[in-house]
Order: sequence, then structure tokens, then C-alpha cells
Amino acid sequence: MEKYINEYIRPRLQGDGGEITFVEEKGDEVTVLLQGECSKCLILDRCLKWIEERTETDLGRKVRVIGIRKKPYFQDV
Amino acid sequence: MAHIKVERRSMRPEEWIKLRFGWLKREIYSEKHEIDSFVIREARQTSEMNFEFYDEQPRPLKKGDMYFTPDGTAFIEADYELPEHLVGKKYVFSLKTAAEMIVRVNGRYVGGIDPNRERMNLSEYVEGRRLHFEIMGYNRSKPDDERNPESLSVRGCRQIFEGGYIAVVNEAVTSLVYDIEMLLDAALSGAFNEDFSQLVIDNLDKALNLIDFDDVRTEDVRAASDYIEENIFSNKDYKGSGRVALVAHSHLDIAYYWRRIHAVQKNLRTVLIQLRLMDKYPDFKYAHTQAYTYETVEKYYPEVFEELKRRIAEGRFEPVGAMYVEPDCNVPSCESLIRQCLYGQSFFREKFGLTVDNCWLPDVFGNSWILPQILKKSGVDYFVSNKMSTWNDTNRFPHNNFVWRGIDGSEVYACVPPTHFISWNMPSQVADNWEAFQDKGTGSATLQMFGYGDGGSGATEEMVELMHRFEKLSVMPETEHITGKEFLHKNFDGNEKLSVWDGELYLEMHRGTFTTKSNLKAYNRKLEFMLREAELRSVLRMKRGVGYPADKLREIYKKLMINQFHDIIPGSHITPVYRDAMADYEQMEKELAEIIGGGEEYFNSLNFERKAVTFISDENGTVVRKGERGYFACPDIPALSCGKIGREKADDWFSANGMKAETPLYSIEFAPDASFVSLKDKELCREWVKGDFNKLKIYHDTPGNYDAWDILPNYKDKQEEIRIEKPLEFIGSDDECAEFSVVLATAKSRWQMIIRLFRRSRGIEVENIVDWNEKHRLAKAEFGCNVLSRELVCDTSAGFIKRETHRNTSWQQARFEVCHHKWCDMCEQGGGVALINQGKYGVSAENGTMALSLLRATIRPDPTSDIGRHNFCYMIYPHSGNAVDAGINDLAFEYNVPLEKGGFDCGTELSGKLWLQAVKLSENGRMIVVRLSEQNGERGVISLTKKAKILNMLEDEIGQADEIAYAPFEIITLGFEL
Repeated sequence: MEKYINEYIRPRLQGDGGEITFVEEKGDEVTVLLQGECSKCLILDRCLKWIEERTETDLGRKVRVIGIRKKPYFQDV
Repeated sequence: MAHIKVERRSMRPEEWIKLRFGWLKREIYSEKHEIDSFVIREARQTSEMNFEFYDEQPRPLKKGDMYFTPDGTAFIEADYELPEHLVGKKYVFSLKTAAEMIVRVNGRYVGGIDPNRERMNLSEYVEGRRLHFEIMGYNRSKPDDERNPESLSVRGCRQIFEGGYIAVVNEAVTSLVYDIEMLLDAALSGAFNEDFSQLVIDNLDKALNLIDFDDVRTEDVRAASDYIEENIFSNKDYKGSGRVALVAHSHLDIAYYWRRIHAVQKNLRTVLIQLRLMDKYPDFKYAHTQAYTYETVEKYYPEVFEELKRRIAEGRFEPVGAMYVEPDCNVPSCESLIRQCLYGQSFFREKFGLTVDNCWLPDVFGNSWILPQILKKSGVDYFVSNKMSTWNDTNRFPHNNFVWRGIDGSEVYACVPPTHFISWNMPSQVADNWEAFQDKGTGSATLQMFGYGDGGSGATEEMVELMHRFEKLSVMPETEHITGKEFLHKNFDGNEKLSVWDGELYLEMHRGTFTTKSNLKAYNRKLEFMLREAELRSVLRMKRGVGYPADKLREIYKKLMINQFHDIIPGSHITPVYRDAMADYEQMEKELAEIIGGGEEYFNSLNFERKAVTFISDENGTVVRKGERGYFACPDIPALSCGKIGREKADDWFSANGMKAETPLYSIEFAPDASFVSLKDKELCREWVKGDFNKLKIYHDTPGNYDAWDILPNYKDKQEEIRIEKPLEFIGSDDECAEFSVVLATAKSRWQMIIRLFRRSRGIEVENIVDWNEKHRLAKAEFGCNVLSRELVCDTSAGFIKRETHRNTSWQQARFEVCHHKWCDMCEQGGGVALINQGKYGVSAENGTMALSLLRATIRPDPTSDIGRHNFCYMIYPHSGNAVDAGINDLAFEYNVPLEKGGFDCGTELSGKLWLQAVKLSENGRMIVVRLSEQNGERGVISLTKKAKILNMLEDEIGQADEIAYAPFEIITLGFEL
């Protein structure tokens, strides 16, 4: 899962100015850290849902993706 | 008695107008027919015209469905049969989206849709009832323009499809919408007279009273428009002043929050939208920059290119900006900027028969003082920029229309408009522009560019419609919609009232872009010199009958040009843009190495004798430098000639005792962190150190939203603690060089410094091997010099600029970080200290201290910026006399041009006092072009053995001579017939 997030999902989010880092996997829950544009995205839940869909298609696994946002210091108000 | 603030809770008249205005906008379409046959294939772009698809087959796309993916491109198709009653009538295609879409119907590119426009005319471009839609949409998290508040709410990688429609526009409603849009801005912006605002509000209210919003009838809408005509537009009691030229333009970043592969479609969409506006509005003209963007239209969309050519021939689609792309104008070298003009102008000449006489760089982060000469000699008389008038953080740049005098005295007309280059043509923006215009006394008009930009897009129908209404608003300045060229000629030619600005156009912002993403800068420098070497050697081989690889060299140069774009080389971009640039650089390096080739002996490609200590690659060498084994030697090879490297045996030239070292030239005392406590010059009998010298400092660097761009003066307030992990120690010496090493560390990074002392050189090299894992940090090497100087002399790549190092005025205070090229120098009568680098551009200086900026660690736009391993060198060079007397410029060339093998000997005619900047085959293949650059501020004469053609930088012949007088900082281009 870590490899999949880092090598498949990450370049796609980076393409939109975002950043995603695998944090941990517990059972069917995958936690990721979201930075860059992702950290302030108003519709991030749609993107996380897409990651879940892709994971199911590509890895055949149903997971729940939990995103932790880390906003840049200058937007962390 | 307590003061009680009165808050109005009832609806104000203007709020009541806005509410009804919203209702009116719902009536824009008199009929709408949903296209319910859309299908979609989601994909990701992998190159300019290639895509990876997520699904084998398209899936249906219905209103309410989710579409688009992160970094995604969607291919949407539909077949639709037009309702019979619409055949022969006017209808539009309407689709509201946050994405950018190119729309093709029945095989023809008919237009573009994006967050700034939701409809496009269709009936004019198709025939019959059957419509086949092919839509290519590129979704992005950053809509075209952050300044457009309506687009902010729809950011995000995944969107909800809101449906696509064939619709009929109610022209009466639309016209009234534009009237009200303009009048509300005029009344509520505060830009105009209060009484006029009240007149507008009173009469808009009355006009809207004529419409029954429960049953909107077109005749009532027309009555409201007539009321506005009679009661607002006919009132000429309120007079505006000033003259504003309106030039339609769209700024397109080749890469930024997107990769350059995406710019191909962003550009096409922009071009299509502007072409369609030209179809609709016969008076509409539009200015578009960057030859590269035209090249991509020609290459991938030839049918659109043909249409574009026709509009260019009509003078309505206007190529502006003579350059290949809009490059950064701080970091690229003189020759690179010349090539931007050469390749840009060559394209415009070949394809459109035009030499563009202006340089159009509204978004660049400051402009080097060397530019006016380059422009003037590239057929460019006018320069347009913007940022120093709108973004300076300290001083108001004093001119908007002026004459810019360059380092050599060349002059170009310059326009730096007083307001932003992205505007949406609102009356208040036009009025604000005139209000802020500082050169009213020159009799010239001020320039207002209008059109959305950054990611392209450009002018909208609304902007043009508003522009057509401006003359009805007596309170506005007089406006004129003209081309960029018309504006420049009309307002500058022969205008003797224009002031002269003699100096660089320094931007008091974005000072971090000299340093951010240091690997790009270092690679760019290396490749600039490799290109020089490759062209020179190719010419020399051509003389022996070997073919000149003109196409390959041009292709590599163009790739370098693209990567010098003002959001690539400065480092202000997202992660994939960096990866693309590094991949390009690696490929270019490989290709250039093949062209450069090798030989038996070492070839000195410099046009002066090469004597300075130089690193020679050798697997049996005693030194490891930048991961390569070799040795240092003093070559002694004449200009443009070959020779062997002689190695002298030398014993006992060096001694070390703890933190002390003795060389033939210096007595040195180090501190354990590799800074110098003392650097005594045995020859000049003086101490060079005063304060921290070669001291690594890591500052907290928190400039805010413009993270990759800016360094703020408060960076000095807080320093990171640097530990000494392994104190300085002597690690060895050979016949020429002695090395010391220290390992420093922070909590997250490791920084090894290797200090190299030389037997026969005044230079002291510092190699830095860094595992950098910081955030919000700026690393500098500081040099407190025992020199009384109030000037920092900086290389520009085509001469030097002197900058004051005191802080007397706000202008000097604002220049707390400046851009330099290969070297900077601080000296007093009798001597000074130079710092020579191999790809560092940011430097600061105050009183007797210079500080070279080494690394940054920014997080926006790229959270991974600069993280990783770095390996770079710089040289400290104490010297007698000033920088020119000491030959610092030549030393800097020797330090940056590696001595490589090659079997050439082309004599000495090209050697001399001028720098041999380039030798190449001319673009027409008929001449050898030689470019010489005077870099020391001196005057003289070159004598040639035979007559040469005198060329401009576009390689046009402007004369012939065998004796050529040159002036300080002059660049001379010569042509020798084959």
C-alpha cells in the first residue's frame, strides 16, 4: 500500500500541486498526510474517494483512506 | 454616553439591484436543450500529445456524475441531433466547468470553455442537424485566475458534471446584463465621483423596476436598456480624464502549476477563444507572446495554425514579444537571452514575415541591465514589463512610460504599466490605471492589458462588450482598443518628454528566485557553457569537412530556452515541473557531451591563455571533487589551442598544525567549523578577515505565501543552530592542493565542507557536500572582509554592475539580496576579495560583508523543493587591485569551463581582450558567426586579417569592416563567409 500511494497516487496529486505521503495502514484504514494544494482543498473528500476507488481497481482491496491535512504555516489560521 | 454603531439591516438600494441582477442573469438563455448522450474516458497526459487512459471503454456521463481525476485529462464525446426549429438559427454550446476544454464539433475546432466562460458560439461553425462533439478537458486545481473570485469556489481535482446544452441566447437580456455589470462596477468601486455613483444607483433601480421578474418579457428588458441609455449614458455632466490604451492579452506560463506538456493545450484553448472573439467582433485585436507557443500550434494543430496565420496577416492576432519564451531575466546568461531573441525572431520571420519590434515580459521577476543592448541589436526598440510597478515591496518605481538605458548605453523605450497585466476590463480598473499612471506629463497614454492569464484564457466576450460601452460612460478616461505595436509606436516614438532610467530594473520582491531549486541553476550554468563548447568545436570540425549538427544544436538550445521560462529556472513551480526540467537537462548534457567529443590533448576553448589552477579528471588522481577523481594543475595552454597538462613535483610547499596552515601565499588560522579566524596574505602583507569569514549560516526563512519566490529582510532575525559533527581536520595534500574537511550538522541535515588551498593560486576552493532535509531555511556562506568598500561589484555575464552596500536610502535597503552571475567582488584601493561560483546567483552585501546564498527549503508551490543531496563549489579569491586588474572575470570563466580533451588549434585571431562568447554556424548556414563581448568596461579596437561582416544579433548584415572599435560592455557579432 505504501508503495502504491508513493509511486502511483503521489505523482498524480503532485501534478495538481498537491502532495501525499503514506503514514500508516491499520486493517482496512490507510492514513495519508496531505500537503501543498491538497491541504487546503475544499473538496478533498472527493479525491480521497477516488484513491479508494483506484485502490480497489488496481490492488483489488477495499480500504478507507483517512487524510490528515498539513497546511503551510502561512495558511494555518 | 456610549457610542452605538448603527447597522443597517434593511436592504440597501444597491443590494436590491444586485439581487434583481442575479435574477436577470437567469434569463440569458431563451431556450436550453440538454445533450444527454455524453460519454467520457478519463486519462492522464504523459507527453504533449500522449495520454494514459484509466478505462478501455468510455462510460456515460450524466448530469450530477463525478468527472476528472487528479492531474487528469478527460475525453468527452457526444452525438446530438439538433432540434429542427434551430436549424438556420443562432445557437450556442453551453457547459459550466472548472476545467479547461477544447471543443471540436464535426471535426472542426470551434472554441474553448473554461472557468471564465461557460458558452461559445456554435451555429456559425457547423452545418446540418447532426453534431458530433469531441471535447478534451484538462482539469487543474488552480483555475485560470485567482483574481477571478467566481472561479475560486470551483477548485479541485474532481468535479461534478453540470451538463452540456445547446442553447439560444436572449440578446436583449445579455446586452442589459453587460450594461448593469459595467455600471455596478462604476458605481460601487469607489473609483468615480460619488454623485455619479448615486445617479447610477438611482437609475438602475428605476430601470429594473420596468421588468416583472415573475414573467420576464423581452420588451420590458429592452425598455430597461432604453431607460439606462436615456438616463445614465446620455448624461454627460460627469467628466473623466486621461487616455488609456486597451490591449487584449493573455499571459501563459509555459509551466507553473502545470507541466509544459499541458501548455500545448492551454495555449490552443486560448488561441481558439481569441480567434472566435475576432469572428464575433470585427474590431477585436489580441496580443500573444512566445514563439514556442506558436510552434506547438503549428506542430500539433495545423488547421488552427492556418487560421491563426490569416488573422496575423490581417493585423488582428498580434505576435508580441520577440523572444522564444518569456524567460527569467536574472539567471540566464547574455548568450541565452540573445538566443531567446534569435530563435523567437527567426520563427516570426519565417512563418509570418514579421520582425517583432517589442519585448513583452509582463510577469518576469526583474530585468538585467544587459537587456537593452540585446534587444536593440535583435530588432527590438520597445520593452514591456510590469512587476516592478505593481509588486515592489519598498519603493514605488517612478516611471511607467520611459526610456531604459542599458549597461552599455543602449536605449529602448520601456513601458511598465501601473496596474496588473491581468485585468478583466472593468471601468474601475481602467480608471485606477490612469490614476496610478506616473508619466501623465509626457503626453502619452497608459497601457492597460486585459484578459485572464497565467494559464492562458485571455479576453472574454464580456470584456469586449464592456469595452464597447466605455465611450458611453463620460466619467471614464478616454479609451482606445489597439494593438501592442500601435500603442508603443503612437506613445513613444519621438516623445522627448520621457524620462530615462539608467540601471537594472530590479524587482523589489521575489529575491528568493536567485536561489530556490539550486540544482536547476547549477545545471543551467553548466549547459550554457557546454553549448558554447559544442558549437565552437562543431565549427572547428566543420572546417575539417565534418557536418555541422545545426538542427541538433538548435533543438538543444531551444530546450534550454524553454527551461529558462520565468517559472521554471526561478524554481517557482510544482514538483513535476522540476522533474521535467532535470530530465531535460540530463538528456541535453548527454547529447552535448557526444557533440563535444574528445581528443588526445587538452583543448583550451577560452580565447585567452589558460593558466589558473584547474581540476583535471583522472581516475588515478589524488583528489575526489564532486564525486569525480582527479587532480589540480595549472595548465598553461594558449588561447584556442591544444596542449598537455604538465605536472610539477613540489614538496614542502604546505604545512598544517592543528587549525593553522601555511602555503606559499597565505598564513591561515581556521576555526573548527571551517570559517577563517585569519587569512594573512604573504605577498600583499595584509589580513583579509574581519568578522565571520566562510562561515555557514542557516537562517529561518519564512516569507509567506510567495514562499519559493521571496526572501524577506527579516530572515536574519533567527538562525538555526549548527553543530560541528566532525571538526576541521587536515586530510591530505599533493603537489598542488591541500585539503581540509569539516562536517557540520543541524537536527535534520549534514553539511560537509572541504577547503582546498593551492600552491600556485590565490584561490581557496570550498566544496560543499550537503544532505539537505530542511523546511523554511536559507543557507548562506558569509564573508566578513577586511576591506573598506561601499560597493559590491557583480558579474552580469556581459559586464559588471556596481551596487551600494550601505543602507542609506530605501532603494539601497530594498536591494538586500541581488542577482549576480559567476562572481562578485568587494575591494578597496589596493585589493579585495572575490567570490567565484559555479551556479549560485543570490548574494547579499552590507558594509564589508558578502554572503553567498547557497540553498533554500521552500514548500510552495513544491513541498519537496531542494530536499536531497547537493554538491557544489565556490572559490574565495583575495587579490591585489580591483576586480578588473585582478582578471577576476577571466578566472571565473576558467572556473566554469572545464578543461576537456579535443584536437583543435584555430590560431589566435579570436583571442584578445574581448570575451569570445559564441562561435556558431549562422542560421542560414552561410557564415560562421562570432560573438565578442567587452566585459571590463574598456574601449579599444579589434583588427582582423580580413574583412568581416558586422551583424546584428539576428545575423542580419549591417556593415563590413576589418578594424572594429569597441566601447565599454559592447557586444559585437561578426560574420565570416564560409
